[in-house]
Amino acid sequence: MKRYVIRRTAQAVIIVLAIAITVFVVLRLSAGDPARIRAPVFASAEVVEQYRRDFGTDRPIVEQLGTFLLGAVQGDLGTSFRFHQPVTELIRTALPRTLALAGCALALSLSVTIILGSLAALRPRSIWGALATILATVGQSAPVFWTGALMVILFAVNLGWLPPGGFTGVSSLVLPAVAVALSIMPTQLRVLRSSMRGVLREEYIRTAQAFGLSDRRITFVYALKNALLPLLTVIGVDVGYLLGGVIVAEVVFAFPGVGELALVALNARDYPLVQGITIVTASIFVIVNLVIDLAYALIDPRIRMEQS
Amino acid sequence: MTVTALASPERGGTGGRPGLFRRNEIGPALVAGAVIFCLILVAVLAAPLIAPADPNLPDLMAVRKPPSAANWFGTDAVGRDLLSRILWGGQVSFLVAGVGMVGSICLGTLMGMLRGFGPGWLHPIVDRIIDIQLAFPYVLLGIAITSVVRPSVPVLILLMVLAGWAAVARVVRAIALQERAKDYVKAAEIIGASRLRIAAFHVFPSVWPSLMVLAAMQMAAMIVFEATLSFLGMGVQPPTASWGGIMLDGKNYITTSWWLTLLPGIAIMMTSLSLVLIGDGLEARAERLRSREADK
Repeated sequence: MKRYVIRRTAQAVIIVLAIAITVFVVLRLSAGDPARIRAPVFASAEVVEQYRRDFGTDRPIVEQLGTFLLGAVQGDLGTSFRFHQPVTELIRTALPRTLALAGCALALSLSVTIILGSLAALRPRSIWGALATILATVGQSAPVFWTGALMVILFAVNLGWLPPGGFTGVSSLVLPAVAVALSIMPTQLRVLRSSMRGVLREEYIRTAQAFGLSDRRITFVYALKNALLPLLTVIGVDVGYLLGGVIVAEVVFAFPGVGELALVALNARDYPLVQGITIVTASIFVIVNLVIDLAYALIDPRIRMEQS
Repeated sequence: MTVTALASPERGGTGGRPGLFRRNEIGPALVAGAVIFCLILVAVLAAPLIAPADPNLPDLMAVRKPPSAANWFGTDAVGRDLLSRILWGGQVSFLVAGVGMVGSICLGTLMGMLRGFGPGWLHPIVDRIIDIQLAFPYVLLGIAITSVVRPSVPVLILLMVLAGWAAVARVVRAIALQERAKDYVKAAEIIGASRLRIAAFHVFPSVWPSLMVLAAMQMAAMIVFEATLSFLGMGVQPPTASWGGIMLDGKNYITTSWWLTLLPGIAIMMTSLSLVLIGDGLEARAERLRSREADK
């Protein structure tokens, strides 16, 4: 087990490092010159050169990469060209909001999935089964930005119940969280419904029925525990999809999180900020996946045997 | 010859062609999905013939007119006919999603088969690449790539392939590993068939039904993904607008001109929905065939 943990952790570190270097090199080589973008339009060559010196982009690229990596390890991701603030600070304000949005969306989607998915598996021909099917197919087909926009039109513009965008407190989380939840729910709903169907055919369920327990009790107390495992796998795989959806929702709702920051940074050719955001988000994915893998290895000994 | 005789009953289940068009095998979801999809596809392909106006011709006398008899879907911020723009824009959306789907299915199948039948040292590498690809958020990938290259149709197709292949590879890998353990593969190995031959001629037919389901689902996801990228300003550049691009144009008028957001969104959703229905229908059909096979 110890060897497995060390190996997987080392792999994770290498992946993050590879992503960091790739992002750095690609951005430096091909995007526009930040000094030209930041400098006034008719600035003289000396002024532009001065900007380059300030940004450190006049040095050889290998040296820039070295400085950057050395700083990153010490928790310094450089200073944003656009905001003139340390990148880590900008991310520190934006990241909790994004995580809160992602967390709310995930919690919402999971609670609906568990209740609706179980009921749909228990009674496929009931109204719950139909509702689950509709949510699974329509949710999969409707883009996040479209459902988001429609909700803004309905709830913010016409009814005035919720703020249309920005971040003014908990009520700002509602619309984006619902939009994101709708987009991640279909997969979860499908997986739980089918695993629940499988579990409900097991013999121990028949035994419970023979003992006269109610269907709901059997489903939500005895079957759910076993039906949840495949759902956990899906959540792990879907982390990337979830954060993708969150980024889109942030743009639609002008929600000041990491995704919106990334787009702003990108349009301003703000290398340090783009780099910082990519590395931080990539690290989050890698860490989440690492934790899920390790948790599986802990639960299921066959996995760690096979891997080592 | 006893060896091949032994192998055949195993193969019959998935390898044969189980009457695709036999009436009782096709569910209502499949029919509904196929009909909607064909209608949209024909309308989009026939855009040059049926579009009522030039999609890129502005008319500043008729700016942001709501749907009417003259302009069924209304007009946009510079007076272009929205119906024509949606019909023409569908060509971009279908081109990117369609070619992207074929590309991701091919690359995914190749990688999945490589994991199942390729040399052993490749296995952990392929596994890790699939893991990374699955975990990485596609939208960030889009932002990263379009920040470097000016977005165009080939760039978008490349993005679709990058975003989609890993999911295909995972399914193909699972089926390949499952089939590999079966007797018919061992039998083929014993009579000296090469791994490439086994993968291509013996195992691939078992992968095929799942690939059909994946193809429909992937294309549905790519219609949505392309629209998302375009909506974020990372799509094909104006004046050629895909469905997402049309919605981006309408974004600033969301409070006053609802049709600019609602109608292209419905086009996206109906297309994607029809593909999801086709995928679901194909999957249900494959399941029915499998359980019938198991009953025999």
